[in-house]
Amino acid sequence: MAEFLELETQDGVRMPWNVLPGTKQEAANCVVPIAAIYTPIKPFPNMPVLPYAPLRCRTCRSVLNPFAIVDFAAKIWICPFCFQRNHFPPQYDSISEEHLPAELFPQYTSIEYESPGENPSSCSSPVYMFVVDTCIIEEEMAFLRSALSQAIDLLPDNSLVGLITFGTLVHVHELGFGQLAKTYVFKGSKDVSKEQLLEQMSFFLKKPKPATGVIAGARDGLSTESISRFLLPASDCGFALNSVLEELQNDPWQVPTDQRATRCTSTALSVAACLLGACVPGSGARIMAFVGGPSTEGPGAIVSKNLSEPIRSHKDLDKDSAPYYNKAVRFYEGLAKQLVHQGHILDLFACALDQVGVAELKVAVERTGGLVVLAESFGHSVFKESLRRVFQSGDYDLGLSSNGIFEINCSKDIKVQGIIGPCASLGKKGQLSSDTVIGQGNTSAWKMCGMDKSTTLCLIFDIVKKETPELAVQPSSNQFYFQFLTYYQHANGQMRVRATTLSRRWVTGPGTIQDLIAGFDQEAAAVAMARLVSFKMEVEAEFDPIRWLDKALIHLCSQFGEYQKDSPSSFSLSPRLSIFPQFMFHLRRSQFVQVFNNSPDETAYFRMILNRENVANSIVMIQPSLISYSFHSAPEPALLDVAAISADRILLLDSYFTVVVFHGANIAQWRKAGYHSQQEHQAFAQLLRAPSDDADSIVKERFPVPRLVVCDQHGSQARFLLAKLNPSATYNTDAPLPGGDILFTDDVSFEVFLDHLQRLTVQ
Amino acid sequence: MAAPVPPGAPRQQPPTGPPPNFQQNPNALADNFQNMNLNRPPSSNTRQPPFGQPPPFSSSAPASQRPGPFPPGAVPRPASGPPTPTLPPNMAPGRPSGAPFGQPPPFGSRPPPPGAFPSSMPPSAGSPPYGAPPPGARPSPVNMMPSGAPSGFISNGPPAPTFQGGQRFAPPGSSQQQAPMGAPPAMGPPGRAPPQAGAMHPFMGSPGAGASQVPPPSGMNQVAPTFGGPPQAMSGSVVSPYAPQMSSQPGVPPMPGSMPPPRMYGMPPPMQNQMTAISPVIGQTGGTQPGASKIDPNQIPRPIPSSSVILHDTRQGNQANPPPPATSDYIVRDTGNCSPRYMRCTINQIPCTADLLTTSGMQLALLVQPLALPHPSEEPIQIVDFGEGGPVRCSRCKGYINPFMKFIDQGRRFICNLCGFTDETPRDYHCNLGPDGRRRDADERPELCRGTVEFVATKEYMVREPMPAVYFFLIDVSMNAIQTGATAAACSSINQVIADLPEGPRTMVGIATFDSTIHFYNLKRVLQQPQMLIVPDVQDVYTPLQTDVIVPVSECRQHLELLLESIPTMFENTRTSESAFGAAIKAAFLAMKSTGGKLMVFQSVLPSIGLGALAAREAEGRSNISAGDKEAHKLLQPADKTLKDMAVEFAEYQVCVDVFITTKTYVDIASISVIPKVTGGQVYYYHPFSVVLDSVKLYNDLRWNVSRPQGFEAVMRVRCSQGIQVQEYHGNFCKRIPTDVDLPGIDCDKAIMVTLKHDDKLQDGAECAFQCALLYTTVYGERRIRVTTLSLPCTSNLSNLFRMADLDTQFVCFLKQAAREIPITPPLHVREQVTNFCINILLSYRKFCATVSSSGQLILPEALKLLPLYTLALIKSAGLRIEGKIDDRSFWINYVSSVSTPSAIPLVYPRMIAVHDLDTQEVNGSIVPAPLPLSSEHVSDEGIYLLENGQDCLIYVGNSVNPDILQQSLGVPSADQGGAEFNLQQYDNPLSKKLNEVINEIRRQRCSFLRLRLCRKGEQSGMAFFSYLIEDKVPTGGLSYVEFLVHIHRQIQMKMSS
Repeated sequence: MAEFLELETQDGVRMPWNVLPGTKQEAANCVVPIAAIYTPIKPFPNMPVLPYAPLRCRTCRSVLNPFAIVDFAAKIWICPFCFQRNHFPPQYDSISEEHLPAELFPQYTSIEYESPGENPSSCSSPVYMFVVDTCIIEEEMAFLRSALSQAIDLLPDNSLVGLITFGTLVHVHELGFGQLAKTYVFKGSKDVSKEQLLEQMSFFLKKPKPATGVIAGARDGLSTESISRFLLPASDCGFALNSVLEELQNDPWQVPTDQRATRCTSTALSVAACLLGACVPGSGARIMAFVGGPSTEGPGAIVSKNLSEPIRSHKDLDKDSAPYYNKAVRFYEGLAKQLVHQGHILDLFACALDQVGVAELKVAVERTGGLVVLAESFGHSVFKESLRRVFQSGDYDLGLSSNGIFEINCSKDIKVQGIIGPCASLGKKGQLSSDTVIGQGNTSAWKMCGMDKSTTLCLIFDIVKKETPELAVQPSSNQFYFQFLTYYQHANGQMRVRATTLSRRWVTGPGTIQDLIAGFDQEAAAVAMARLVSFKMEVEAEFDPIRWLDKALIHLCSQFGEYQKDSPSSFSLSPRLSIFPQFMFHLRRSQFVQVFNNSPDETAYFRMILNRENVANSIVMIQPSLISYSFHSAPEPALLDVAAISADRILLLDSYFTVVVFHGANIAQWRKAGYHSQQEHQAFAQLLRAPSDDADSIVKERFPVPRLVVCDQHGSQARFLLAKLNPSATYNTDAPLPGGDILFTDDVSFEVFLDHLQRLTVQ
Repeated sequence: MAAPVPPGAPRQQPPTGPPPNFQQNPNALADNFQNMNLNRPPSSNTRQPPFGQPPPFSSSAPASQRPGPFPPGAVPRPASGPPTPTLPPNMAPGRPSGAPFGQPPPFGSRPPPPGAFPSSMPPSAGSPPYGAPPPGARPSPVNMMPSGAPSGFISNGPPAPTFQGGQRFAPPGSSQQQAPMGAPPAMGPPGRAPPQAGAMHPFMGSPGAGASQVPPPSGMNQVAPTFGGPPQAMSGSVVSPYAPQMSSQPGVPPMPGSMPPPRMYGMPPPMQNQMTAISPVIGQTGGTQPGASKIDPNQIPRPIPSSSVILHDTRQGNQANPPPPATSDYIVRDTGNCSPRYMRCTINQIPCTADLLTTSGMQLALLVQPLALPHPSEEPIQIVDFGEGGPVRCSRCKGYINPFMKFIDQGRRFICNLCGFTDETPRDYHCNLGPDGRRRDADERPELCRGTVEFVATKEYMVREPMPAVYFFLIDVSMNAIQTGATAAACSSINQVIADLPEGPRTMVGIATFDSTIHFYNLKRVLQQPQMLIVPDVQDVYTPLQTDVIVPVSECRQHLELLLESIPTMFENTRTSESAFGAAIKAAFLAMKSTGGKLMVFQSVLPSIGLGALAAREAEGRSNISAGDKEAHKLLQPADKTLKDMAVEFAEYQVCVDVFITTKTYVDIASISVIPKVTGGQVYYYHPFSVVLDSVKLYNDLRWNVSRPQGFEAVMRVRCSQGIQVQEYHGNFCKRIPTDVDLPGIDCDKAIMVTLKHDDKLQDGAECAFQCALLYTTVYGERRIRVTTLSLPCTSNLSNLFRMADLDTQFVCFLKQAAREIPITPPLHVREQVTNFCINILLSYRKFCATVSSSGQLILPEALKLLPLYTLALIKSAGLRIEGKIDDRSFWINYVSSVSTPSAIPLVYPRMIAVHDLDTQEVNGSIVPAPLPLSSEHVSDEGIYLLENGQDCLIYVGNSVNPDILQQSLGVPSADQGGAEFNLQQYDNPLSKKLNEVINEIRRQRCSFLRLRLCRKGEQSGMAFFSYLIEDKVPTGGLSYVEFLVHIHRQIQMKMSS
């Protein structure tokens, strides 16, 4: 396991199979897909940034890397992907075995280039378009107002800011108009095209409208003057923006008591997209949407205004009885396409007790690499802290980057089925793209409008090498090569390219099982399976995730386990695989698979986060970590089992979205008695403090900020812990556990699950 | 002044609160027209209250109070209000020796004396207190010319009361001195107002002193009374009938002290016919030798307005009293019939059969002006509150209780005068009848003794709470509007007018601007400053806010001021030339939809984009005269139905649109005007717009618009007695069901014409009633029903019809019908139609009523003797001038459609006065000197002339005017100087003072701030001036007055002989 982590710290890559099956058939037998979970711009403290453009292969355009075979004498390098011989250009004249350029250093398999010539022109400043819902109650409005004005104070001075508010109608605020507050008001029910928008917002007053061609941005004919009506440097518009926010009212249109407010989220987003598309196409602009309720108007409405009609549930979606869903998704797919085309990002801050339509918006947020935060209220710390984090600089900044393009090169026997993660296919179809598509596929290049330093993609590969008849004959090389190229606009405004080149051994033929097992990264495998099952649940009708997962697990175990046929007790798994069934057990119980406890919005939210997080965080989502604190021992990990509960312990559960500090009954009593504030019970105070300190440090570095729940045994909030625990003791259990807690569930416990697994595997 | 009791039955109960829109302050009108450049001395033309005491309610109002609202305190109906016994409701008698006003018009420089008014009016002698019982006096005035009368112009001396100046050609006989009327004092039948005779004397008796402008008396010899009437008319001496007639002429000032017995007016209607005969030919040569030159132009009929105040009782001796001319100054006492201001009929007796009407060639129609501005001295309309039950109505026709409902069966039942149904009297309304068959309480109950009352409407009359007074201003800020200063002018006008809006929490205001987009403003008070909300989609508009775009005026005054001041600068550098007029009004409408209200639009260019965009149908700078263009009149029709449909929707939601067009170019008024027309609004037209000239007018127009008496969300219906029914309504309104008209807005200036038709025979001698009910909401949010009832006798005698014809109303009917025809018929046809109308009437008269006359004479019924002149004027009017600009004509057509009778006449037949000698002209009570005939003969090169038609005021400067006079009056050293953009100022000399006084007085009379234009001979402006002189021959083919008379005569002769 450690070696996988080491590889990750070098390249940001985790692969379920670090030794690859050599043929298509063997790959199929492996059950868990050949995949790479890659964090494209993971920061590496020691990674050099080269001040020049990368050297590329003449034919396959791959970048010079440590795996290239270099002939120092002839000044020639051979591309490991296509075996093309390339001459070094004159500036490499001085290279020798002793004198290597950094990109050839073996340890720099990941390296960045930042060539000064590629500076983007004027679009370097970040652009923030705030899209604010006003159909919210006054209290929420006050929260939102203060959160926004805090955020605005944190904006970098050179960033450009725009503001759109919406409710029944869409208000585009012309912040550059000095004399009074001026807004353009668009009808909520009507989608506006970019051309109409340009026309209606008088962008062509001073110039004749170009007869043809797409008009966009300063380069293409819009005067900076007219752009600066709506997008102003943060340093200039602070006052205007703050005064608009101060006077921001709730949507004044009356809402009958039996109706939902008229909220045209989709139109507002569309207007924002068009405006940005007109003003700053191609620059990394973010649309930050603050939504406080369900969209009821316009093409992206998710529910009718009539309150008697409930918002769609998973059941409705399954039964296809959510009349608005497909239309809204289609709309947001269109919006996503537009935003990807323009290189803009949609961030979603959804804060409502009700659903707001995250499930529909997911496609737009995910394809553009936007951030998403789901909270109950704009006053909730999950929202407030998360928003602050977006703009915070320093240790915990998100490292927001934009305008990314992700490209891939691999050895010829491997093709890419697609990426599950926050990106959009650029449709660059080539030899590399597989015919079977998973996620964003059919391409070897992806657009990543927005990304941050933890954005993680899951690439799914397809081994296409056919079974060769002469099995014994080992080919000249048993290495597969992968190269990931990420072009992006760094937070400092410069364009950069990161090249990560990997090499993995492949094996084939009999006796390869052990090799494969040795290269099996069960965490990465679990994460890949989680992303895959989520994806399949979304796109495949009638998909039964439990069955699929069980079959996969059984297949995997029968493939890689050791056992005698029909003897369950003889079954054993290599340590490399031993925790995988446990991950699967928890994955089956997780919010990703068991969706019926959650709303479609929540599910979409969880999946979006899963799809953008790295392996470690994803594992926490699948199988939360549990740490136990007691007087008897130092903090130690505890089994995620109801047995871990004990009256004199504190448990810290991290399920990624929620961090629970759980005080055992005795601890809670003592705390209520106030012992921790008594001099003689210092130890107790420390015990109390330790888990909350740990929780704080988790909260601090995570985005979105998790919900922190502090609860006591038998308290109502304890459900956040109990729901995650293995139900080894339920109300059916004969002998209660010493901890005194049982779970009211009919779910099978892990032991039962394993029993079944063994039995089925050996059949 | 001490008139203790007015002639009418004194009201026992104190007057209730005034009707909401009643003009309390006699000065109000005058004050409303502020010439900002004038520095008019405060008192210069304020009308003093006619009585020693102020009128009951104005006392609390400062003299400068604006017209609309009266002091709030007066609003509630004082159930037991302070009785004002000394101020009888009918204030007329109090009118002082109207000397200042009661100047006899025609002779400008009449030597003061013999019968100088004050002295000549001894209140004694039982003279009729009211100077002019005009129509009632008619009977007598028949001048019979001896049969052998010399040919020539004949006028029966007693000119129709309409034209009190009739005497101009009236005196028959060869010498004035001998004129039969020459010695009226003596001839006056005893007891019949000797004083009048005295009054008359000056006119007839001392013609030699006639002012230069006055036709020389020599003309008299061609004027002879003619025998027109049936023989019995002869019975009266030539003179005697005349005297009383004359008495009315010079506007004998009312004699407050002498309360005449009412019967003085109620002289039995005479049976004679009055007529005027003009014979264009000498000798009996028939029509072959028209010899127009033989006609003395000074002798042909012309209006001679009286500036004296006429006192008029609507009924006398239980008979309808024919009203004074619409254009005269009169004070009405409502004695059963409504005041003619509110409703007039084209004929004051109703023909019994349709055939009779057809034979006469005349129109039968009502002109209804339900909120007309009363004379300040008139008794306010009484408000009657029936409590929860609402007003008593006929259960069948739903007619409202009125003085002509006949109570029978001890008052237990009443017979509806409209449908004839017998209704049960509601129990709590029961009252016994007196010996005269009237209810004993009839005189105490306004609804039983007044022709016009206002009922408080109950819930039954409301589909919702009465709407608040909502004023929404929509201002064009496109490049053109900004650059011409129109926007600034509009903003500043609005800013000033805000103060004039009705007080109170129910007054709401909103504002929006537009160019290629529509800009609303959030005026909510909590905002630090107004917020601008732009609606950019001009194809599919919407309102950006549900509330806060329209807010109570009291809450947004500061925001409004700030905003109005900054709008012109805000758009200073705009480059948007497009204007989305249609979309903007639609958006504004949506904002007002929930309440309704008044939408005032300031538009400067042709609406070019968005909803209801228009195309420049008229190529700029090209007049449409281009012959052969048969479709030219189509340009006077709306371009398409978009705006019409919009307007109907507006009307449905009670939005009334006024459009102020401040432009220098074509804006297609024909299309735009549909909106005001359908919504009960009005078009104001400032063309070519000039900031210097028009800002003040714009302000005054706007001010009058919001402050004049008006109502909202109104519905009007006219009911007629059995036998007559309403054929059609004409005016500015929306009609959704055949019987009612919907008026989102109705104000005192708007008139509606109601044409009538027979559906049965009427009984000779019976009375036929017309009742107009207007249900409306006042600006203070009270729901009221104004019920106006007029009951007229029926007749089967044709000559009665001619005798009782109401020229003004009759003509205005023609005018309105012609205006409707113009857009759909080629102009030549319309002219022909109009001429034929005139000819047919005259022909009928000639044929059936004046058979005795020789065929060589053109015989005109006295009452209609000016019909040819007016017809000629109509033919030459702006609307029928094919060479005129399309927009000018469209505006004219639109204006005519809602114009009231008193304003319609000057529009067609303007008033021209000489102003160069104002300071030396005799002042005879009237501020405005006597008008001159509209003929270039009366315009000399040495003079300065002022011509006004109620809209425009042209000042013509002759070529050789004395520079001193020029400098004194206009402040320019010579006629060539002084730009076209001319502003009248007051200089410190008598001439200038007088001139300003005159102009202000005209403005007051017209309720309009006339725009002044300087005209010079030889220039375009001079041409414009001369185009108003309708008596002249126009080179392009228009006949002169004399030629026209000849033409008509010949036509009649032809038709007679055929």
